[in-house]
Amino acid sequence: MVPSMTSVLEITGLKKTYRARGGPRRALDGFDMYVEAGQVHGFLGPNGSGKTTTLRTLLGLIRADGGQMRVLGHVVPDALPEVVAHVGAIVESPQFFGNFSARDTLSLLADAGDLPQSRVDWAFELVGLRDRAHERVKTYSLGMKQRLAVASALLKQPKLLILDEPANGLDPGGIREMREMMATLSAGGMTVVLSSHILSEIQIICDNVTIISLGKRVAAGPVSEVVAAYSTGQVRIGLETPADVAAAAQVLTGAGIQYQQHPDHLVASGVDKPALLSRLLAGRDLFVSELTPVGVDLESVFLELTGTAPVPGQHRSVDDSVRVS
Amino acid sequence: MSLIRAERRRFIKRRMTLWMFVIGVVILGAVTAGLAMTHHKPTPAVVAAAQAEADRVYQQEMRNWEQYKAACQAQAGPEAELKCQGPQRDWFTAENFMPPQFDFKHQYGDILIIWAAIISMVGFVLGATFVGAEWSSGSMMNLLTWRPKRMNVLGTKLGVLLGWMTAVGVGTFALWTAGLYAVGKISGNTNGMTSGTWQSFGLAGVRGVAMILAFSALGFGLASLGRHTALALGVAIAVVIVGQIGLGIVLNLANVQFAESYLIPVHMYAWLNKQVVLQDFSGMVRCTPTGCDSPPEMVVSYTHSGPVALGILLVVLAAAFWAMRRRDVA
Repeated sequence: MVPSMTSVLEITGLKKTYRARGGPRRALDGFDMYVEAGQVHGFLGPNGSGKTTTLRTLLGLIRADGGQMRVLGHVVPDALPEVVAHVGAIVESPQFFGNFSARDTLSLLADAGDLPQSRVDWAFELVGLRDRAHERVKTYSLGMKQRLAVASALLKQPKLLILDEPANGLDPGGIREMREMMATLSAGGMTVVLSSHILSEIQIICDNVTIISLGKRVAAGPVSEVVAAYSTGQVRIGLETPADVAAAAQVLTGAGIQYQQHPDHLVASGVDKPALLSRLLAGRDLFVSELTPVGVDLESVFLELTGTAPVPGQHRSVDDSVRVS
Repeated sequence: MSLIRAERRRFIKRRMTLWMFVIGVVILGAVTAGLAMTHHKPTPAVVAAAQAEADRVYQQEMRNWEQYKAACQAQAGPEAELKCQGPQRDWFTAENFMPPQFDFKHQYGDILIIWAAIISMVGFVLGATFVGAEWSSGSMMNLLTWRPKRMNVLGTKLGVLLGWMTAVGVGTFALWTAGLYAVGKISGNTNGMTSGTWQSFGLAGVRGVAMILAFSALGFGLASLGRHTALALGVAIAVVIVGQIGLGIVLNLANVQFAESYLIPVHMYAWLNKQVVLQDFSGMVRCTPTGCDSPPEMVVSYTHSGPVALGILLVVLAAAFWAMRRRDVA
């Protein structure tokens, strides 16, 4: 994907290496990312892949070693002071001074951003914290802190909203509320970059997705296209009687179609047109009771692309792969 | 301006600010009350009571002497007149039996360090927690996503801290001075106060406020450098225990001349009172029938202590700002 005139966020060739005990560790290795205006854009990657480093670098919290970044058409971090008023962000876990009330917390941020205090009530209303706003943040549950963090990011009424794991700690109802809120914000023209590990949510909420692994982009584009690109064309074939499974397997073998045989069904691979299977088997008096394309979801694509699918007997280390030799 | 307003509000909203201010004022109030209770104004009744006590003790001593006089004269022989004189009346004056009175003019400067040291400690802790708690809670990172100019953020925080501590310093100085003046009026005297004396007290107060600001900025700088309140407090404890108590013991064991000149409180006192004269009694002091030679002296002047302290403070602050500019916020 190449940047267009409507790109809200453009990252090209971003590099970052951390100095650490045991040698330097490469967090970002020429990472690219493009987000168009109005998108809800999923930003996915396993632990230690460079997601948070990317977001922090974008917000000027971390100094990049190389690459270019543009936010709303401005080169950052140089132009960050001009553009930051239009960028709302929460990075990693919500972090606030525990002894202040939630209202004081947002009120102070509103002052720091030279925003009207009326925005504070608006933000509390939006995230459902209005009635608990007077309580100290340290009394909040993780989910409530998460809502407060989202409220703080929304306070600016930003053009670009960056949320790192916003559903972390939320109950199912909260996750749904968050999903609906993002849909509303996006419908209102706000661009949302959403980092999350709840891939089913990403698949529902996001228009586009970027997947990062070992500091590099491994996939990007509309969610449907990314998923389709890794679809294997598998079709599940059920037969009227299980006794026909073996006969059907012989037919597929004869037709040169790859398959997996199960006690009560077959799974054929590389099938472009499932209807052909029905015709082929019916020609041998084998009648199918089920002919279902096997769907590939974002989670399986993610696990395949990032190589993080659990393997029996092996324990994955999140950091070994990024050490600079 | 919006950031200044936010930081001003943040400073006074913190419970630590309120508690440290209350603790500082309570300690100063307790010291003032203690001074008031341990000193008494020389009212006619107090003078009369002291005179009566002096008379009573003199009479008691005379009775004792009368019992011993004959034995003394027998033992002294021809020198009895010289050696057996007994108590003299002028030894027992009322002044020696009066409770101490608080002399505002002469005692004010000596105890000014109580105010300056306590409020400096308050300033150090508030300075350290003001930025340290921001770092350790993650609020600083949050703030930087709103105000990405790091130097402005840290500079504004420091400026707000120093502004508030100036107000606290001036306010508590006024309270302290008024309290001691009241003690002088109630439990002593305020004699000899001239405009020049008041001016001198005022200048000492200005130096005291400067010292409070320096300690506040030092706590702020250390906590900012370590991104945690604990670093500043740890350094303070290390300096007090290792650098002062331990150093003092070692220097004394080594018989270092003017060992006190290495201790911070001496320099704080010198800063407030312009100078401290240290005397070395460790060597021989030559005495003649007309008197003894003065022991060796060392003058610790505020013109020497001040620039050294300022230099240390500037190094710490420069390091804190450099770290703020260069280090990643992770």
